[in-house]
This record gives sequence, C-alpha cells and structure tokens, in this order.
Amino acid sequence: MFKAYQKSKTILGMNSRNLTFIRPNNLKRAKRLADNKLKSKRLLKKNGIPVPGLIAKIKTRQDLDNFDFSKLPSSFVLKPNMGLGGDGILVVYGRKKNCQNIWVKADRSLVTEDDLRNQIRNILEGSFSRTSIPDIAFFEERVKLSRVFKPYSYKGIPDVRVIVYNNVPVMAMLRLSTKGSEGKANLQLGGIGCGIDMATGTTTSAVQGKSKLIECIPGTRLSLSGIRIPRWQEILELAVKAQQVSGLGFLGADVAYDRDDGPVFLELNARPGLSIQIANMEGLLTRLKRVEGLKVKSAKHGVKLAKNLFGGEIEEELEDISGKKVIGVVEKIKLIGKNGAEKEVEAKIDTGAYSTSVDIELARELGFEGVIDYFDKIKKPKEITKKDGKNIMEDLRAKYLHKNKDLLDIDVVYSSSGITVRPKVKISFVMDNETVITRANLTERADLKYPVIIGRRDLKKFLVEV
Amino acid sequence: MYSAFVEYAVSQGVPLGTVTLILMLPIVVLIIAFFRQVVGIKAFGIYTPALIIFAFLAIKAEAGSFWGGIRYGTAIFGTVIAVGTLARIFLRRFRLLYLPRVAIVISIVSLSTLLMLILGGMFQRTGLASVSIFPILIMITLVEKFVTVQIEKGGKAAVYLSLETLFISIVGYSIASWALLIFYLQQYPWLVFVAIVINIFLGKWTGLRLSEVIRFKKLIKNV
Repeated sequence: MFKAYQKSKTILGMNSRNLTFIRPNNLKRAKRLADNKLKSKRLLKKNGIPVPGLIAKIKTRQDLDNFDFSKLPSSFVLKPNMGLGGDGILVVYGRKKNCQNIWVKADRSLVTEDDLRNQIRNILEGSFSRTSIPDIAFFEERVKLSRVFKPYSYKGIPDVRVIVYNNVPVMAMLRLSTKGSEGKANLQLGGIGCGIDMATGTTTSAVQGKSKLIECIPGTRLSLSGIRIPRWQEILELAVKAQQVSGLGFLGADVAYDRDDGPVFLELNARPGLSIQIANMEGLLTRLKRVEGLKVKSAKHGVKLAKNLFGGEIEEELEDISGKKVIGVVEKIKLIGKNGAEKEVEAKIDTGAYSTSVDIELARELGFEGVIDYFDKIKKPKEITKKDGKNIMEDLRAKYLHKNKDLLDIDVVYSSSGITVRPKVKISFVMDNETVITRANLTERADLKYPVIIGRRDLKKFLVEV
Repeated sequence: MYSAFVEYAVSQGVPLGTVTLILMLPIVVLIIAFFRQVVGIKAFGIYTPALIIFAFLAIKAEAGSFWGGIRYGTAIFGTVIAVGTLARIFLRRFRLLYLPRVAIVISIVSLSTLLMLILGGMFQRTGLASVSIFPILIMITLVEKFVTVQIEKGGKAAVYLSLETLFISIVGYSIASWALLIFYLQQYPWLVFVAIVINIFLGKWTGLRLSEVIRFKKLIKNV
C-alpha cells in the first residue's frame, strides 16, 4: 500500500498539472496564442517552423456568401479557429467522382456544399469555441499520409505529441486514428497512443482510449511497438523551437509527418492530456522534475539532454559502443584510501577542473594523516604570483618529493579562491561500478558543499549529462 | 437557543430557514469542490450542482420528507435529461443554429415537465404536483448546460456528467439535510469559515485524484 503511494508520486495528475505546471508557466498571453490556431500558425511560420498551408479563411457571413466552393481542392481540412479538443474539425479526402461540389469523408460518407456551409455557419456562431464567442472558420491543406504509417492508420493522419518543459522534450507519443475515432487521433475518441523511446524515436507500449493497454492494432496482428518514426531529431527540435517561439513553458506540441514535406507542425497545446503517461508506462512528474532548472542553451541541446535522460535504449547502446557510462553532475562515490579504508561521499563532477581534489579532513580519515602532517611542516612561500608559480613548484618538488612515500607530487593550483600549493596522493574511487585510480590533490574543502570534485582527467570512462 | 448572530438575524425578520440555507451554501460548495479535486467527479461545474442541491432542498420542504426530496427531485432531473436528449436527437435533422435550437429544447422540456406534474397528480402523487416553480425552473436551466456539453463533448459525455451531477446533488442534499449539521450551523455560524480554510487546502492540493488512481492503476503497478 505504502509502496503504491510512493510510486503514485511519479505520476502527474490533473491537480498538479494545473497548479504546478500550467499556472506558473503558461501565461495568459501564451495560452491565448495556443487557443488561436490562425495566429499561432502565422507566428510559427514566421519563425521558420513548417505548418500546413492555409487555403482560405472565412471571417463573416458575408465572406461565406461570397465564397466560391468550387475553388476548394479535392482534399482539405475545415477548422474552427478557436476550437477545443478536435471539435468542429471536418476532414475530406477527395471529391466524389463526376460531382463538382460533393466531397468524401474518412468513413466514406458524403459532404455537400450545404453541409460545409452549415458547419461554417456553426463555427462563425461560436458553437465550437471555448467560450461560445463568434469565431473564424478556415480551410487548410490536409497532411498527406506517409508510407511509414500507412498500415497503422485508419483513414486519419497520425501525429506525434511531444511534451516540452524547460526547452527539453520530456515525453512523446505517436497518436493513431482508429475505426472508432472517425479519422481523428484524439485518445478520448478511441484513438491509439504509442509510447516513444526518446532517444531513438521508436514506439514501445501502446494504449487505446483512456486506459486500455494493447499490443496490436485491434483486429489485426500488426504490432504497435517498434515503429520507427522518421526524422525523429527534427521532430523533437521543432517541438522545442515551438516552445521558445510561443512562450508556453509547459507545452504539448503536435507534429505530423507529411509524405512529401516531412515534419509539419500541427498545433500548440497549452493543456496537454495525461494519457501520454499510460502510453509510455511511465510517470511524467519525475521527468518534469528532472529537467526543472536545467540551463538549456539551444533546441539541439535540449533534444540531446532528452535523449540522454529519457532514452532507455540509446543509453545502453551508447555504453556498448564506447564503453562510456552516463553520469550526472553529482554522483555518489566510494573513496578507497590507505590500507583499504573506505568512505562513501557525494562528489561533484566538474569537467571545468583538470584533476580531482579531495578535502584534507576526509583524506585524514582515509589514512593520509602522515603525509598531511609532513606537508604542513614544509616551508612554503606565503604569497605566490602567477609568474613565479612554476619555479616554486619545481623548487618544492626537488626538495621534498621522495622524502615521504605517500607524497606523490606537489602541485601549484590556480583556482577561483587563489593560488595554492597542494600535496598529491594516490587514491582510488568507485563510481557507477567503475574503479578509477587517480592522483588527487588535497585541499581545504570543509566550507564547500561537496568534499570531493572529480576533474576531467578521471572522467575518460564517463559521459557527463548536464 | 441559537447563536447570538442567528438570534439577531431572526429577530430582524429574516426567516430561520433562509438563514440556515444561506449558511449551508458554503458547506455545499465545499462538498462539490472536494468531489472535484480529491475524488475526481466533474459534474457540470460548481454552479449547476449547487443549484440542484437547493432545488432538492426546496422540494423536500414541500414534500415534507427526506425521501420525498430524493424521489421527486430525481424524477424531475431524469425527465429533464431524458427529454433533453430526445429533443436534441429529434432536432438534429433540421440543422438549426445554436441558440434557437437550445430555445426549442428548453420549450419541449418545460412542456414535458408540466405534463409530468399533471400525470403525478392523476396518480395521486400530490407531492410531485405541488412542487413550486422555483425548483422546477432550476432543473430546466440544467438543459442549457446539458445541451452545451452534448454539442461540445458528445452525447455520452453529457449523460455521464449528468449522472455525476445527480450523484453529487444527492450526496450534497443528504449532507445538507443532516439534522446535526443544521444544528451546529445554527449554534456556531462561524463554521462556514472553517469551510473556507478547507477550501484553501483543496486549492493547494496537488496529489492524484481518486479517479486518477483508478485510471493509472496499471501504470502505478508498472513504474
């Protein structure tokens, strides 16, 4: 029972989504932008993000009366500008043979010009908008189904939903439409959502509707895992860019894949749903907390982080290829000193430092008190300038090295706190099951948060994710 | 007998029943908020269920018994939803615009309610026939909410939300009819401020809702 409660803390619920993530991160202006499809389309396009082409928009009854329906292409999508959750969207796939203004929908039912007019009138009245205020209707080009997805999709166009937080794509799912969902990929309408491995863009587990786990497309033996999404890197980058452009701190980005044009951005979503967690069989809350406060420099950097942090498979793949282990900025290590003395501490991984340094007090506990006391007695110049640092070091080395068997070396270290002379000793540590033998310099670190920093000389077997 | 505040209100001519009902309102909305945030039952927002609870209470006052309130209240509620659904299905083929369509649905629902009251009288259900206009009007306004949800989220969601609303209304009604609670509210009217404090906690609550625990059951097991 208690364990289940602990586990449930990894999951993002409605209350937490609204209060912790949407409220502080999605400001009113950004939310209004996401709710306004035409406006967000324009903004995305201006910033170099590909979107489906706009065919025509109808703002008023007069526009509708003057509109020439015969000019519409044979396939298009009719949308309300402020529609909610896929409501009021009408998709047609082609003209009926030998008929001027009759189109065919996904379920083969026919749509006449009168049907379109009525739908547009309802849109203009605001029947589908969030607050029932008058709305604008627009026609846009239909995304063409790619060969990759053809076997999996029933009439509709699949799209990839990516949750982006703090410029890192945190979780993603592939949404497929089914017979029941009327060619729309909305999960509430009975669509399928497949979890995606962030590193490789390959689908893993799948859910249909709100919570039913499935393995194959219903009624077939087509497996839903292992679908490789083409141009995955680009899709993730588009999602992060859309976040930067839109200002939505907590974004659900919908990206589709066009047969000819590749990734196209469909929609910004300020209130993304929670089913993505079931599709991925993982909680969002832990992932969101993981990326909170990270400094992300660019879209590429954000995507790289996501692949390292949340890509289950690639991490192992990477370790297999290069033998490197992926570690964080702070890691638990076990220090092994003289005569097998052991000590477990938290170390800061600092690629900015060249060598590893250990706190003097800690070194005493590890059996180095002899060398520390010896080093304390050595006469050292009080003031060292950058110029004579090298000479002093040579001088000290010549005089005192080899007089104590634990004193491996003497170093002059230039750090933010000044220039200091430090003794070096042989010490080994175990990090992530990997043993490293190193020459660590000893220094006063009692006031600092971590008693050990590991420098880049000792990180050859590791890959640091920031 | 009552707290000084309630005594004073009554001595100034405010009926005791009114004072009690008004003091009950913060409790009722707290119950609805609790159901939304902790249990995860949505219903039609907060306003509609609160009104329906008061409609139930008004029916109880006229029918004279707790079960009378539930019986007649549920009967009127059910009629409104059932007729609303049928009317919408019937009107779909005419392709009307939103407001005129809702207007027709409301008209049909009111006439059906009247018919039901007459039928109730014919079958000697005098309690039903004598229900005053106030609760009936409230129930009829439910139709607009119902039709809006039908259009936006589909018929199934609308029926589901109606059942949730009915459920919350019956629970809220039962609590609001609880003699002990009424007694305490009359004795200690400041209890309504406790309700506000609880609401602050609910407003900061970020845990999973009960409905989400059920929805994510497999996921919780798998993590």
